[in-house]
Amino acid sequence: MSDTLTDIDVTIEQLLDRPWVCIVWDDPVNLMSYVTFVLIKIFGFTKEKAHDKMMQVHIEGRAVVATGSREEMEHYVQALHEHGLWATLQRDDKI
Amino acid sequence: MSQFSRLGESFSLSLSIDEAHVLINLVEQLLELLGEGDFQHHYDQNDPFAQLMAMQQEVVAPEDPVLKRLLPNAYADPEAADDFRRYTEPGLRRNKQDSLRIIREELTVLVDNEEAGVIPNLNGEMWLKAINDLRIALSVRLEIHGESFEIFENMPDEDPQKGIYAVYFWLGWLQESLLELLTQ
Repeated sequence: MSDTLTDIDVTIEQLLDRPWVCIVWDDPVNLMSYVTFVLIKIFGFTKEKAHDKMMQVHIEGRAVVATGSREEMEHYVQALHEHGLWATLQRDDKI
Repeated sequence: MSQFSRLGESFSLSLSIDEAHVLINLVEQLLELLGEGDFQHHYDQNDPFAQLMAMQQEVVAPEDPVLKRLLPNAYADPEAADDFRRYTEPGLRRNKQDSLRIIREELTVLVDNEEAGVIPNLNGEMWLKAINDLRIALSVRLEIHGESFEIFENMPDEDPQKGIYAVYFWLGWLQESLLELLTQ
């Protein structure tokens, strides 16, 4: 019984600690150079990192561009929508 | 004919009158779609009372596909998406409208003063975002995809959609040229 309780505790703790992620999705409209520009502007990425993330969006269809609290990710999603990028937030898939 | 220029931190755009008319037309259509209300000029939208009233209005996901793309859901979960939209969509919509109104004003001045042909001292980043919004709006209507440029190139001149495709790709070129100046 106590074992079960411990298991549940750990699971809840992990769930609560699980961060939120901000995801940018691919679309056929936004120019690759524009997506790179927006990622540098909003996240302060280096040119190389922004380019890599942009390519990941383009090739894999989506990329996680930020991880953190729900409030932070909401702020980022809002900024991305201001720039016309298609972005969402969700709990991190990985535990 | 159309060209952005940069002198120090100052950006300008030279346009033919025809190009300016095309842009005004697009800007006005998007403003209309975003719901241009004259009442918005009369009080400060950042006023706490205005925000409180805005929050009590029913804000639901738009049905028009262009608005769905310009004002997208932030969450896959519909309830969380609606909740987020209630707090953020009025501001997002307003910012896009404000930029489009400024651009419409600048274009109107250019059209009214036929000799100049130049919009001086424009806000480069604001124009960049607005051109992007116009491209997104057109892309949804044209159902743009990866092979659309080839389709456009092979389209017969008499195809009524060819002109709209041309405007879409022209805007992409214009946006790219502005971006190059901004990142110089």
